[in-house]
Amino acid sequence: MAEVDETNTLVFQEDDHRTAYIFSPTDSAEHQAAPQNQNARPAKRRRTSKKGANAAEPDHEPQPQPQSDYHGGEADFPALFNGAESLDAVRLRRTTFETAWPVLSGRIQNVLRRANRKTLDEVALFMREAEDEAETAGGKIPAGFIITGPNIASQDLLFEQMAEGLSEATGAKVVRLRSAGAPNLKAVLKKIIRDATSRSADGGDDAEVSIGSDGRKYLNYDLEALHVFLAAHDSRRVIVAFEDSEAFDSGLLTDLIALFHSWHDRIHFSVLFGVATSVDLFQQRLLKATAQQLYGAQFDVVQADSVLESVFMGAVAGSQAALRLGPSLLQSLLERQKDQVAGVHTFISSLKYAYMCHFYANPLSVLLAEERLLTNELLQPQHLEAVRTLDSFKQHVEAAVDARQLSHAQSLLENDEYLVRQVLEQTQKRKDYMTQLLRSLHLITATGLHPGRFTDLYVSALADGIDLSSDVSPVLDSIRRLNPSQIIDLIHRLLAAISKGNPDLDLDGWEDQEESEELRSSLTEITDEVQALLDQSKLSGKPLKSKYSSQSKILRTTVVAQKVQLSHDTATLTEADKAFSTAVDNLTDLLSRFIHVDPIGSLFLHEAWVYDSKSPYRDVFVPRPATTFARALARPHDYLGCACCSKPDGGLACTFPTTSILYHLYLEAGALLNVADLWAAYYTLVGEESELALDERAALVRFYRGLAELRLMGFVKQSKKKADHVAKLKWL
Amino acid sequence: MARKSVTDQEPVARRTGRKRVDPYEVPDETPDEAPATKRRRGPNKPKPASVQSKAEKQAHVEDSAAEDEEGEHKLTNGVSQGDGDREEQETAQPVEEPTPVKKRLGRPPGSKNGGGGTPNGKTSTPSAARRKPAAAAETPLKLNGALNGIDTPSRRNFADRSARRKSARALIDRVVGDEISDEEEGIAREIYESSENDDDDNEQESPDERDEDHPTAATTPSKTPARRGRKPGTGTARKRSPTPPRDLPPQEPYFYHNKPGRAKTSNNTLSSLDLLTHDEYFSLLRQQQQQANQHADDVRFLQSLHAESFPQWAFELSQGFSACLYGYGSKRALIHQFAHHLSKTTGTHKSPPKIVIVNGYVPTTSIRDILTILHTAIVPPSTQRLAQGNPVAMTLTFLQTLTSLPSTTLYLLINSIDAPPLRKTSPQSILAQLASHPQIHLLCSADTPDFHLLWDSGLRSSFNFVFHDCTSFAPYEVDVVDEVHELLGRLARRAGGKDGVAFVLRSLPENAKSLFRLLVAEVLAMMDDGGGNNAGDGPGIEYRMLYNKAVEEFICSSEMAFRTLLKEFHDHQIITSHKDSIGTELLSLPFRKEELEGILEDLMS
Repeated sequence: MAEVDETNTLVFQEDDHRTAYIFSPTDSAEHQAAPQNQNARPAKRRRTSKKGANAAEPDHEPQPQPQSDYHGGEADFPALFNGAESLDAVRLRRTTFETAWPVLSGRIQNVLRRANRKTLDEVALFMREAEDEAETAGGKIPAGFIITGPNIASQDLLFEQMAEGLSEATGAKVVRLRSAGAPNLKAVLKKIIRDATSRSADGGDDAEVSIGSDGRKYLNYDLEALHVFLAAHDSRRVIVAFEDSEAFDSGLLTDLIALFHSWHDRIHFSVLFGVATSVDLFQQRLLKATAQQLYGAQFDVVQADSVLESVFMGAVAGSQAALRLGPSLLQSLLERQKDQVAGVHTFISSLKYAYMCHFYANPLSVLLAEERLLTNELLQPQHLEAVRTLDSFKQHVEAAVDARQLSHAQSLLENDEYLVRQVLEQTQKRKDYMTQLLRSLHLITATGLHPGRFTDLYVSALADGIDLSSDVSPVLDSIRRLNPSQIIDLIHRLLAAISKGNPDLDLDGWEDQEESEELRSSLTEITDEVQALLDQSKLSGKPLKSKYSSQSKILRTTVVAQKVQLSHDTATLTEADKAFSTAVDNLTDLLSRFIHVDPIGSLFLHEAWVYDSKSPYRDVFVPRPATTFARALARPHDYLGCACCSKPDGGLACTFPTTSILYHLYLEAGALLNVADLWAAYYTLVGEESELALDERAALVRFYRGLAELRLMGFVKQSKKKADHVAKLKWL
Repeated sequence: MARKSVTDQEPVARRTGRKRVDPYEVPDETPDEAPATKRRRGPNKPKPASVQSKAEKQAHVEDSAAEDEEGEHKLTNGVSQGDGDREEQETAQPVEEPTPVKKRLGRPPGSKNGGGGTPNGKTSTPSAARRKPAAAAETPLKLNGALNGIDTPSRRNFADRSARRKSARALIDRVVGDEISDEEEGIAREIYESSENDDDDNEQESPDERDEDHPTAATTPSKTPARRGRKPGTGTARKRSPTPPRDLPPQEPYFYHNKPGRAKTSNNTLSSLDLLTHDEYFSLLRQQQQQANQHADDVRFLQSLHAESFPQWAFELSQGFSACLYGYGSKRALIHQFAHHLSKTTGTHKSPPKIVIVNGYVPTTSIRDILTILHTAIVPPSTQRLAQGNPVAMTLTFLQTLTSLPSTTLYLLINSIDAPPLRKTSPQSILAQLASHPQIHLLCSADTPDFHLLWDSGLRSSFNFVFHDCTSFAPYEVDVVDEVHELLGRLARRAGGKDGVAFVLRSLPENAKSLFRLLVAEVLAMMDDGGGNNAGDGPGIEYRMLYNKAVEEFICSSEMAFRTLLKEFHDHQIITSHKDSIGTELLSLPFRKEELEGILEDLMS
């Protein structure tokens, strides 16, 4: 450890003992010059935290680059294909990412803002009315209680909007307070005055502020200053928003409210409370006298679930999303949303990270660039090779061979130009697929017969495709059970869906396109037919039923000799009923023909535009540090890859790093460790009789270091129960 | 032992055994379960409900009290059941109304053969007794044996039992409340263990009993075949090992280790070992570094692997994420390298990126210092200083300044964000606030395995972390000797040994030096007399005596002056004072004898 140690333990640099310092590359250029020997790479058992495992085949997985390569540009992506990727392709990947993500991010922000809009309007209305009622309410302070739910992570946006919206709607100054920034009354008042007067912070505890024309000076926590300021600006209202009101000291709240109340004749304060639990609980924390000075209303915020749903529709499923997330990744993202109380923001971060991974590490992601930028020169031989190693390419070729399109298959394999053409054609196919997918999903949701949420429907559509005629789908069954008027409603809904499209999904109506011609005309025909039958049956007074509905409805229960007999009544169908049944059959056939999607994994070249790798996501967002530590300490050769320590049985060897040996001994001990015994055990292991043959003092030096590290990592603490004992703190 | 013959009761006993969830027990596959239930459904049902509820109760009692007892002995299946049985009787008895003939199953101490000779213990509880007719018909002989050995409820037995129960309670209290003194605990433990030994004796005999049992068992053909078939299997079916199996979820070893009753550790101490001093530690370390370490290359290689991810991290930071590096080993060197990487790849020659590195592990780290440094990083220190004050207000001011310089991006690299100085909520929330600012990119390292408990979901979303496993195996930067001594309770706070003292004294007036010389000489003299034991701080000198001597030597003229001098020493932690049992104030020096001699030499020269 000669070199590393020298810098680490022995010769502590000046910097290392300072709390913080500004890094300057010239001073410490020699500080850490561990040579980067990248050429000699033995095969390592290493946890790859590398991104983009989805990228093509293992041999085309992005290899880390010699450093010189990425020192050139301004933080470019590293070149893939072992550095053989052309600079243009690298840049294109980056620009594609940089154009793709902001579009989505903008949409997401829109969705989030829209979700809060209703609450916002209500609050604004309340605040406006409160202004008028202020006199009649006997000087009480208007208070809005906003039930935000437990997810404090998503409150930020809400209050930001609230601040904007309210200052527009009521012309009041809005001040946002967080418990972390409000340690005491003085600090809070300072913040209120500073924010309301929009002044930059003045240094010093008791600095004075001068406000107004007369040049008088006020202490910066004196509300008089605010009063003068507001008078000068011809306004009297200030709205104070407590974002996480449960976290505020209740004494502080009481003081503040009392103070606001006493200033009520000069400044009109209103308050907003973000309440995570319930208003009742919150009220219990306030004094009665304080509570009586408030009069308020309660507002609910849209629940995280439905916000997630709309974000999902806009950002994941929507047609503007350039990159598709694969079903298994989506599934795990959604599960995490449910299992952990992770906010929508976590979901968005994960989404962004998926985009980053894809464009950063998958060379084929250039194919997502705009078509005009995709030139033949851009695609290097390496790209084509990468394409030829894809699973979907193999499937495609095999399918072609099976279908006797031998020349097609051969050209794909051998003719580069042909392949390039094919690859470029896929862009259109991808778009077609997406349109088909979204239309199908839209129609299914329009029927209103699919149980469950859109997210689940989407994920299953990606994973298994949509095939209404299969047994799994409940939609057709439900359609068959509908009665005639419901069928007509359904068809109207479908027609409306076709003409309107779905703005949430960015799906335009496709009424005027020829693909919809057949579907629409057939649907109209069926409606007419059913309508005619229905009219007829009304005249005759006989209810209209199909063979499906009649069977399911009539079930006879007979009790014979103490045994229950169930028998289906196969009621005879009239001519009209039969005609209706045919109409229903036609409808289901039609729908299953038009609502049909293949699983996304079956498409040629889907690897270029579908990201479905769970591992970087899991490693990066849901780390398991305990496991990592335990593994590093228990089996150091997993990381070090050294020959000396890898024993097949995972046993302990004296060549292990000291801390690792101690950790093994630590595992064997109970809740209390005798350090003397630990030392004895350690010394036996590395002492003179072992391979290492350390003398006592040398071993003791190592032992000290190991023990100190165990303590630093929080594994042991001092114990007073017995002399020279330490207590165990971690069970990993 | 009762169990041997109480065939009918066995299902009950076994059920109690099941209820006890013992993770270290290989689940006992009982092939004869079916026959057993069949037997229960036999003519001698209905089983009284009291047995059932008793079993229930038993399960609870055993969960808390009896489990540890079992954990410490290797029990074969049969024996543990017998034990459970016996236990059941014990706890059940107070609940039962007094039966005319008290049949206690446990053999009274002293009569060795009692239990062994009573293979038929059906008489033990009323429930079993009621079932007797059926079973007794088959083995009438054994009834006598049973009556022989067990029935006399000896006084001592009860006393033992209640003492044992009390001591068990005491042990539990100790584990829970940690308030019992050591002596008490010793007694409690003794009582507890002595009764365990009794059990031990019983259990050790049982194999023999079993052998004896075989011939007699053969005489009751209707029941024993199934039982006999099982016996050989039981030895292997539920074998216990003293160490739990390895791949258990972490909570299991936790409970295993924190069972009531103190974990047994030896009484060895490190007294025979000469602990290292700073000097020795560093000189030895230097020596060791001369020799090549077998893992140096591997560690360096690991580092280079991590270094390959630098562009990736930089990209993540640029996209508004914060990065957190975790894993065993110091990440300081890595972060430093990353700073180099950043300075090379981002920014231009005219405006290199602003990078601030924070060392969280430095004990004096405070959020104020960090903010001040950050501020000087973006604004030349000459023009404007960040006013000291409330950290929250400082943060606001700083962020406002930063926002007013939109072209500046600041990289904040924090070593050990989970180090004690930064562990509290307030620094973390300020750091989160910093991290959420678009112009600040934060990358930090974490050294403990449970660092993620630092942040609630609000903070976590402001940080917007991505985590990377950066196990480096590089040695942590810690003051090894001090850490270890503190861990062992041997650390006396002081000013860095001999040199520290010399340094302190150099800045003090002549009087102070003389006083310290006097003190050292006195203490050394006492050490030579052998007056001081080695525990703690060494021998102490009486305050009054030292004062008198100081006055004699004209070091000081009043107690006030004397106090002032001493206070100086106290402040630098080169003396310690404590009161002895009768309230005399004693002054002592937190140094070893050799060090004191060295100090004295320095002072005299």
